[in-house]
Amino acid sequence: MSDQTINSTVRKKHRHEGPRNHVLAFALSIILTALAFLAVSYTLAEGTHVQHWFVQMFIVSLAIFQAIIQLAFWMHMKDKGHGWPIVFIIMGVVVAFTAIASALFWVWY
Amino acid sequence: MSNLTHADPHGHGLPPEGPLERATLEGRNKITLFWLFLGAECVLFGTLFATFIALRNSTLGGPTGSDLFDLILVAWATIILLVSSLTSVFAVQAMHSHQVGKMQLWLVVTVLLGIAFAALEIYEFQHYIHMEHTFVSSAFGTSYYSLVGFHGAHVMFGVFWITTLILQIMKKGLTTVTAPKVYVASLYWHFIDVVWVFIFTVVYLMGIMG
Repeated sequence: MSDQTINSTVRKKHRHEGPRNHVLAFALSIILTALAFLAVSYTLAEGTHVQHWFVQMFIVSLAIFQAIIQLAFWMHMKDKGHGWPIVFIIMGVVVAFTAIASALFWVWY
Repeated sequence: MSNLTHADPHGHGLPPEGPLERATLEGRNKITLFWLFLGAECVLFGTLFATFIALRNSTLGGPTGSDLFDLILVAWATIILLVSSLTSVFAVQAMHSHQVGKMQLWLVVTVLLGIAFAALEIYEFQHYIHMEHTFVSSAFGTSYYSLVGFHGAHVMFGVFWITTLILQIMKKGLTTVTAPKVYVASLYWHFIDVVWVFIFTVVYLMGIMG
């Protein structure tokens, strides 16, 4: 294998990430979504006694997990060179969570 | 690569083997600053979520979330949007391997799924209005339609945006000018899907649980 061939192979590998990771992210998203829907239908089914607050915490955690997966894989945030995107999104999320925390505080106390 | 137009005569760009959307400084800046816009969108939706969470039980004697929402309908909307996010990934991947026809096809599929989602939402809103759950019926109604309607408006804007991109690429081809636009539109589309994840969880699933 000449130097040039090696170089183009490396290059090709680098450029074409391939659909595998993206399809994997899709499968995970489907599973997390299905889990959330199933948890809620199970809670509402006759004869089950699950604490509602627990199920709510559970499905919100699933949503946060799914959001992180989609941001990392589909929106390429896991790739290098995404320092500023991470800063911008964290800034937005901090303000968003402040607003949500204030609303919860207002309702509960 | 040789059949591509490189609008980068001064050589600011990366070597041509990098992704096309990052070939010029303008393209790279466009992508980075689009993330600033997405950060601002987090704030917008965050405050709408905060309002909804605070007012979700203020139904003023009208129908509640558990009276209105239907798990099957929400599941369909979720699947449609999730699949459309995947098809926009495929479009960007086709762009990275310079298969313009394939990219356009996946973009068309994304747009069609976006239209299906919007149609389902219009049907849903109409159904609720017949059940006396309107924008002015209660604080729950106002906060619900503000949040979910704003998301639906984002979907419709995305449909319009990606459609115009498809038409522009038909005319101008895939270049270092048009490639960042496709990439940024796909970021926008994924972001809309991420917001929907929180909407189906907080508005619908938690609403159904009461």
